Amino acid sequence: MRIRVVLHYLGLLIIGLGIAMLFPMSWSGYYGEPVSQSFAISAGITACSGLLLWRLTPGGGGRFSRREALLFVTCGWLLASAFSAIPYQLAGVFPGYLDAYFEAMSGYTTTGATVLSSIESQPQGILLWRNFTQWLGGMGIITLFVALFPLFGIGAAHLVEAEIPGPQAEKLTARIQDTVKSLWYLYVGFSIVEFILLWQAGNISAFDAITITFGTMPTGGFAARSLSIGAYNSVIVEGIVITFMIIAGVNFGLHYLCLWKRQPGRLFVNPEFRFYIGLLVGASILIALNLINSTGMSVGSAFRHSVFQVVSVMTTTGFSTVNFNSWPAFAKATLLILMIVGASAGSTGGALKVSRILVLLKYTYRRIALSFNPQAVIPLKVGNNVLSEQVVSGVIGMTVLYFTTMIVSFLIMSSFGLSQITALSSVIATLGNVGPGLGMVGPVLDYAFVPAAGKVTLIVCMLAGRLELLTVFALVAPSFWKWR
Amino acid sequence: MYIIIAGAGVVGFNIASLLVQENHQVVVIDRSEKAIENVRRQLDVATILNNAAIPKTIIEAEIHRADLIIAVTDSDETNMIICLIAKELGARMTIARVRSPEYSSYFISPATDPSAPRKVIRPKTFGVDLFINPVVEASKEIIDILSSFYPSPVDNFANGIVQIREFRTEKGMAIDKPLNKLNFPRPCVIAAILRAEGIFIPAADEIIKEGDRVYLIAAAEFMDQLGELFVQPKRPASSVVILGGGRVGCLVAEGLRERRIPVKIIEKNEDRSQEIAGRLEGTAVVQGDGTDRDFLIEQGVPLADAFVASTESDEVNILSGLLAKSLGISRNLVLVNNPWNIPLAEAVGVDVAASPPLLTARRIARFALHGGAISVAMLGGEQIQAIEFVTGPTAPIAQRSIKEAGLPKGAICGAVVRNNTVIIPPDDSTVQPGDHLIVISPLALIPAVEKLFT
Repeated sequence: MRIRVVLHYLGLLIIGLGIAMLFPMSWSGYYGEPVSQSFAISAGITACSGLLLWRLTPGGGGRFSRREALLFVTCGWLLASAFSAIPYQLAGVFPGYLDAYFEAMSGYTTTGATVLSSIESQPQGILLWRNFTQWLGGMGIITLFVALFPLFGIGAAHLVEAEIPGPQAEKLTARIQDTVKSLWYLYVGFSIVEFILLWQAGNISAFDAITITFGTMPTGGFAARSLSIGAYNSVIVEGIVITFMIIAGVNFGLHYLCLWKRQPGRLFVNPEFRFYIGLLVGASILIALNLINSTGMSVGSAFRHSVFQVVSVMTTTGFSTVNFNSWPAFAKATLLILMIVGASAGSTGGALKVSRILVLLKYTYRRIALSFNPQAVIPLKVGNNVLSEQVVSGVIGMTVLYFTTMIVSFLIMSSFGLSQITALSSVIATLGNVGPGLGMVGPVLDYAFVPAAGKVTLIVCMLAGRLELLTVFALVAPSFWKWR
Repeated sequence: MYIIIAGAGVVGFNIASLLVQENHQVVVIDRSEKAIENVRRQLDVATILNNAAIPKTIIEAEIHRADLIIAVTDSDETNMIICLIAKELGARMTIARVRSPEYSSYFISPATDPSAPRKVIRPKTFGVDLFINPVVEASKEIIDILSSFYPSPVDNFANGIVQIREFRTEKGMAIDKPLNKLNFPRPCVIAAILRAEGIFIPAADEIIKEGDRVYLIAAAEFMDQLGELFVQPKRPASSVVILGGGRVGCLVAEGLRERRIPVKIIEKNEDRSQEIAGRLEGTAVVQGDGTDRDFLIEQGVPLADAFVASTESDEVNILSGLLAKSLGISRNLVLVNNPWNIPLAEAVGVDVAASPPLLTARRIARFALHGGAISVAMLGGEQIQAIEFVTGPTAPIAQRSIKEAGLPKGAICGAVVRNNTVIIPPDDSTVQPGDHLIVISPLALIPAVEKLFT
């Protein structure tokens, strides 16, 4: 493994990050906020560190091996969060660097779990930076890096594979760089449309429209208000946000086929998309009925709140319009399960992914069928494609790893004396990159009270969840570092 | 360009890797999961796992916008069907690898009655723009080498007036001296040097070492004389033993026969030896094992000038080539299917190892890559190419002096052909419209070079 080459490109990545900080800096500067100075200093520190790292490790070149790619992606995310925490630290937003780091990591991983208690009192620059990190992390910072720098040849495929959510990165075009570029074009395109709709039709300020867009498209969930989207109390805003959360939770490869290749028919025959929509509709109806039944809510507002909460939680966005922590037990349990299911593969959403659930269900059915007829040959089909046993075993291994991580982190969180529901939901919400959980980490509350060691645990959960576990855990395996 | 390659075997893989290096968009289609996985892991191309002869598959590959489709599956017939369908569906150009020579010729249907017109079937009817036959490519290369002074391949430019030839430098020749101290009897340019660490375009004071492969560019008439600087010339082969009576073996035998060089074919399989003995008139055919030392001696192999091993097996070819060398034959040529075996074979003492799939891949890539260029040669490990361009009246390079032509750093001009005379740089005349320039350039700089001529 050529550590030097990895460091070389990490330097380049960090330089890019320094440039990204100029965006909140100029916004703050334009509105005369003193915080723009913190951004200027941070951008300087970041860009210089990157430049230093880049120049100290000359050469580079050659294509990335799989190991180098994994190391690059994980370190890239860790370092990006470390540098992105500097503006928070300099502006004195948080009591300590760990909180700043938590917020930065929560941003990049599009989790949206916040340690910020008084959101409205923060300068716009800080709020914008929080949401901008989400927007960058949504489609992936490494993916953006690959799209901008045609440096890696075949190594780029390894990088993208390590970062794109879902069982395998599809190649939509002949060259990986073109694939990545078209994904980013789609992402930017959707973001612009949502921004204009929110701004014009939703009748809210440009700043609010930008921050909501930066929270929706990456399925992030940071909001510029303590009450999240509920603060705007507008059906139109909620409708627009719901639509774009659903869009962001669909495989971008499907968007590519529909919009770029003009084959909209491909959307509705896609088994994952159908299952995804089915789950959204089913869960919304069940929760609405439950709300009407046990709280006596009117039919209209029951559906309005249930649809928004279901879409937000299942796409792992984490926006809220009401405090669902005070909902009846059945509704809360349903939301908790949706947090584990997550969005589609290849979307900007997190968690286990609908396609994996689909495979698991079919696999379970096959086990049952084999119990009374062991000789039966039952292929696992998703749509018209027969899945190879390799793919199936990959999905099962991933699921086992996901739940193992969840259980171990749950135990760790419980050891700090948190209640079961708080400990469990905090782990599920960070591992799935959702954001708000239940109990003490509910939608109108925050993660500030969690002890330092607990925050570290959750940071690991967020990163591992965003990078689909294996990318991060591979680095922990001793044999990764050996020549073998 | 957008290029579809059907078939991910040795040829398909090598073409794909050449095309990717030049930054083309490539899609590879194959039926074998293993082959596709191999391509996917090593090359930045899109892949489709299916039978390319099914219209649905090549529609999925977006055949309508393909500039070129290259059919290199195992089967001649499949390749032709792929091209036929692809042409119908809008592919701009099609290339098929076809081993059987019968398909690429014209057919004239017999007339049913004397007054009825006879129907002519042309290769184009199959939708194939270019037939590539690896057997023909390989046998041409072998015959070229056997009938020249030096045991190395040659590339022709400007209708054969200029050549690039590879020489493997031998002891006692013009080695261990800086290039600018060498006294060349005729004007020439060292286009590239291939050494263990890779191929490069040499600086003026580069020192040639023993065992280097030197790519020399010069007028064809002086090539034999210049070669004496690096290699002891051998006279062209006057008697040849061919091991293996396969398609390549037979074609080489026929070609040599036309040049009145006596040939003896050794074939192991009894039925096959009977068959070729009947077909190849005037060629001696013996049946036996080419790795059997006593048998080779008995058949008079040590008395022949050259030995060509062309069986199906790379290992048998290499071993028998070495055996022949140990028996005192001065030239041995060996066919290997796996291109990775070429450096191994040449390292252990084989004079020339040729790989039909690689020759095919290069030929296709030459055809595909440079529509505007007249001819192209790939030097060494394909990292450096020699390309012949014609200067158009409006080309940026016209009216500049050759020295200040504005070639990107790293690329050099090897020769200029003006009115059928060869001008070898350094030369300070200006480039005229209509001049042919042979430019040596690394792959990455080729787009920049091409701009000078358009």
